[in-house]
Amino acid sequence: MSTGVIAAVLVAGAVGAVIRYALSRRYPVRPGHLPGGILIVNVVGSGVAGAVIALAERAALGADVRLILLTGFCGGLTTFSTWCVETIELFDGGRWRAAVLNILVTVVVGLGAATTAYLLLR
Amino acid sequence: MLPYLAVFAGGLLGTGLRLAVDSALPHADDGFPGSTLIVNLVGTFVLGWLAGGLWTRPSTPTWLKAGVGSGVIGSFTTLSAVMGSIAILDRGGETPLAFLYLAVSLVGGLALAAAGLKLGSALAHRPMPTEITDDGATL
Repeated sequence: MSTGVIAAVLVAGAVGAVIRYALSRRYPVRPGHLPGGILIVNVVGSGVAGAVIALAERAALGADVRLILLTGFCGGLTTFSTWCVETIELFDGGRWRAAVLNILVTVVVGLGAATTAYLLLR
Repeated sequence: MLPYLAVFAGGLLGTGLRLAVDSALPHADDGFPGSTLIVNLVGTFVLGWLAGGLWTRPSTPTWLKAGVGSGVIGSFTTLSAVMGSIAILDRGGETPLAFLYLAVSLVGGLALAAAGLKLGSALAHRPMPTEITDDGATL
């Protein structure tokens, strides 16, 4: 791993983080709604990850580009910690239906996006 | 503008830390992604702790919450790597391992988020937050 690649991975992760922050501000959590911004980035990031893994498997993408997009951009764009903490906050706030839905929708749609992209492109 | 700069700087750090753990604990694409699991569980506990403690203190500035929460911890943890690994494991015929990984991530993540929130708010002597604020507090 060259220094240039490492730098590119870090910058790609930081850009992903800024997009995530901007979307979570754009779609804040409202009563009766799921945390939409985080849901969007997690689903989109999972789909892009599936696509990148598939393209790299058949050598359409090099190892460096794979690392920059996967570990960098997708890793920075998506988040696991916020998803879990916000789900618990929904539970504790008595919004258990929103909490369960937040888990189910993220897992089903996120996993669906990742596997579909992976299977279509590999 | 300041929160966005803080998120960018935090994103560099969080991504770097995750890359370091990945490099220290390498795994094959079709192997059990232990490094991702560790990163996600540790990050979730720390974010819960902060969300229950420092974040609920009125004097904590927004840029700090954004930079550390959304930036460092948000980038440190990842969902795309979890979903990507599950897709690979499932395709490789390792479906039971894929489901085990998903279940451990999910149950562990939710339990550690709850434990972090509880511990953080108990140590800060403040009630546990049940509202998700708009300022990027848990992000």
